[in-house]
Amino acid sequence: MKARILSLLSLGAILAVSLRAQPAFSGPMPSPAVVADAGLRRAAYFDRIDEVLKWRAGLPVGAGELLKDTAIIASKLARHEDADLCSRSIIELMKEPGSGPFWMFPAVDIAYLGRGQLSAEAEKAIRDAWRSAMQIRGDTENHWAMYYTSLYLMAQLYPDDPADSWYTGKSSQENMAEAREYLISWMDLATTVGQGEFNPTHYIGEYAIPMLFLSTWSKDPGMRQRGQMMLDWLFADLAENTLNGVLHGANARTDDTSVIERWNALASFFSWILFDNTVPPQSYGGWGVYFATVAKNYEVPEVIYRVAVDRGADYVQHDLKRTRRRWRNSDVLSAPVYKTNYTRRDYAVGSYQGGMADPIQTHVWDVTWAVPDPRGVHNTMFSMHPISSSFDMQTYFTELPDQMIKGVTKEGKASYDSPDKLLGGSRFEQVFQNLDTIIALYDIPPGTRFPHINGFFSKDLVNLTVDPSGWIFAQGGRAYLAYRPLAGYELQPLARIKSSWTGERADTGDKRLYSPHLKNGTIVQAASADEFKDFAAFQAAIRALPLEFGLEPVPTVKFTSLRGRKIVCTYGKAPVLDGKKVDYSKWKLFEGPYLNADKGSRKLTITHGRLERVLDFNTLAISDRVKPE
Amino acid sequence: MTKIKTTFLGFALCAGAAAAAPAAPRHDLILCAQVTNNFVVGSKLTAPSGLFRREADGAYRHYGVNFPFVFNLAVDPRNPDVQYVASLNGALVTRDGGRTWRIGTSWDMTEPKDIFLDPNAPDTIYLALPDGIAVSRDAGHTWPRAEKGLPGRGKYMQVAKVDRTRAGRVLAGCESGIYLTENAAKSWRLIFPTKTTITDIRQSPHDAKLWLASTQSNGLLVSRDGGESWTKFDGVPSAEALYNVAFDATNPQRYAVSSWTYGVRTTEDGGRTWTERNAGLPEDHVVFRVGIDPDTGRLYAAVYKDAVFRSDDFGRSWTKDGLEGSIVYNFVFLPHPAK
Repeated sequence: MKARILSLLSLGAILAVSLRAQPAFSGPMPSPAVVADAGLRRAAYFDRIDEVLKWRAGLPVGAGELLKDTAIIASKLARHEDADLCSRSIIELMKEPGSGPFWMFPAVDIAYLGRGQLSAEAEKAIRDAWRSAMQIRGDTENHWAMYYTSLYLMAQLYPDDPADSWYTGKSSQENMAEAREYLISWMDLATTVGQGEFNPTHYIGEYAIPMLFLSTWSKDPGMRQRGQMMLDWLFADLAENTLNGVLHGANARTDDTSVIERWNALASFFSWILFDNTVPPQSYGGWGVYFATVAKNYEVPEVIYRVAVDRGADYVQHDLKRTRRRWRNSDVLSAPVYKTNYTRRDYAVGSYQGGMADPIQTHVWDVTWAVPDPRGVHNTMFSMHPISSSFDMQTYFTELPDQMIKGVTKEGKASYDSPDKLLGGSRFEQVFQNLDTIIALYDIPPGTRFPHINGFFSKDLVNLTVDPSGWIFAQGGRAYLAYRPLAGYELQPLARIKSSWTGERADTGDKRLYSPHLKNGTIVQAASADEFKDFAAFQAAIRALPLEFGLEPVPTVKFTSLRGRKIVCTYGKAPVLDGKKVDYSKWKLFEGPYLNADKGSRKLTITHGRLERVLDFNTLAISDRVKPE
Repeated sequence: MTKIKTTFLGFALCAGAAAAAPAAPRHDLILCAQVTNNFVVGSKLTAPSGLFRREADGAYRHYGVNFPFVFNLAVDPRNPDVQYVASLNGALVTRDGGRTWRIGTSWDMTEPKDIFLDPNAPDTIYLALPDGIAVSRDAGHTWPRAEKGLPGRGKYMQVAKVDRTRAGRVLAGCESGIYLTENAAKSWRLIFPTKTTITDIRQSPHDAKLWLASTQSNGLLVSRDGGESWTKFDGVPSAEALYNVAFDATNPQRYAVSSWTYGVRTTEDGGRTWTERNAGLPEDHVVFRVGIDPDTGRLYAAVYKDAVFRSDDFGRSWTKDGLEGSIVYNFVFLPHPAK
């Protein structure tokens, strides 16, 4: 297949390097205590940045050898080390430039960090590469964010260069104008009708790093401010959707590892470096190194820090997002995504209404429970329909039908055509969430590839009990979980995908609930262990909840939740809550205790206690205040 | 420039090649192809991709931009140094025979699948987009959209072809059917609705009224009135997608169709009967594209990520021709410029 795919090739190389001297990765969990002193927070933030750079710059290089990748060069340049070695290495590396945004933004990083350090020959080598190698723009929003930010900044370095000196065939000024126009267009979309690749476990880096570069190096004050504001926007959204630093569902895009080991994602690098409320993944997630090279130019706003680490009470956030661009098979270019996040101390429940936000890597809903240390823990529960469909691929990609499924499995999405996959959304899933209750209904047409439901049962669940009532009970951390399959099933051992590139599998002790019924459904009710005398009391409470359901002609559920809410869900119809039809059209861009924005407003208010920050893209103003008592 | 070695095995044995001394070819064969296996954005280009010219010795020689996603090519008949390419990045334009290129379009146009120049108005170039169509009327300097009459949705456009007999008459293959303009895209009308994408449209070199269209789920369509009405060919399967169709300029009765599932199907009686022509192709015969040399009638088939194959007996036997590991997006036969 083609450009759509995240290139993790470089990342793979990075992950393969030595684990030594990554103290945060291998060390103890950070203290959950809130650091009230801004100076201490800032100093600790700098320490974390220095840890990343020291590790990456310090990876061994053979005597007389050149540096083999841009991450080590960028780290050394950020630390003002080995400028001569960096120059010689760059000259060699630039003889074979890469081919797209994943090459472009590291090249920009070293070009800017290298100012005043690199030799004239090295600077020329970088510059020449932007003439000689046609760069691929890609076909996703993250590709374009990287591509256009990189093109903008590189052209800015050489503002008067003529058209024939750039691979685009356009002058520096033309390149900057096009890039600026796109970036503003993208920011407009995100701040009016919602982000496309929302809450991604990995792609957050592909947005945050370019925005950091823009906020640091743009000479245009407006673009610099936009970069800063988008960073705040992204990180506020990250903070809201994390549980002790771990990003939970729903996610527009995640991967085979992160969907079950929720912590193991680049997003955790950002939680660690910004909020210090979890540990970073191995090798700081790979791309995290590039963020670190410039991270001292970003100051984490206290209000965002507090949203991430200082949770006084349970909260519900409703967010509006949007799907990836649909070229075909849809009445709309980008459909709205209505996202719910209910977070408590012991667990979080997150979802959107079902369907596909992305054709391959969507994760629609889960319950994720808190754990003292998330490393290696599969602290989540969910179900999904593992669809594999060229119709869906063609909806989102501009390809002929047949090669896509075969191709994508070789391009870092090994599980796509596997019946036991756990990654992906489906057109045939409809989800409703109220607080810590999830109802997911499925109506799968006969003939659909993989006509069954997969439910994920973690190795880390305890007290897993298949109850005669039809409920399955389990405990994850301090979360009590009740899972009600609506059709027959069996629990099977699950050999999860270990490598998204090779498809290599590993037996981890997890189980897959396999339910081969086209009309199907899942109800999940979560609760905190604190709410019950013991697990048996929780089970008794669940058994007592009024529940009626049927599967014909379409799945339908009438359920009174543990919270006393009367929920009626019928596949193909709007959910009904306490007798009132749920009207998604009234949802705001953000609505909750922490983040608030009206649809179309370009204005986000971030609140924590008396702290408030307003990001106003209409005026490009950031305003902070401490609200009166 | 990098020369891609081709395989000559069996070349001398080909019946067609052994026929009477051929006249000097009047067309060049250019392939729009990706050779980099399993390429993903960010990885290095391990081999040149983009445009390949088939040389007289059978070698495929890369020229122009090294870019893995070049989908089609149009060349100004007045000046072959002026070339237009539909690429992932948009429309690329060269005015010096491929030495330098400019991305002619901006951020608001992406992934065009077809580009076609009106031979009767060669400054007018049509660019088929996944969300409509752009038309340059100034030889590729500007690319305004021209979509009046196309639906708001359903205008995913895979192909656009100009009627060579009438300037400004264009047939476009979209997700929702075949659309026609007779005023150079100032307005469009739907002439044949479909539920899935039209994958290719071609005009017969023998009969300007005869058009063929391959589809994803409607089989192979034929029009004998210049594209105004269409019927489905019997004898060509339609359960799975057909990818493109080709006329043989040397024989008005011969057409060929490509398909991932069905491989190569040909007719030699104007479509009354069709024959599977996969013997000699790789076992899974996943054919992405067919092309027919307008000078010799040689049939080419591009097997996905395998190689280009040629047949000088219209598919009865095949010989590997080169570009191994390639995805061929289009065979383009360029007429030699008039002297």
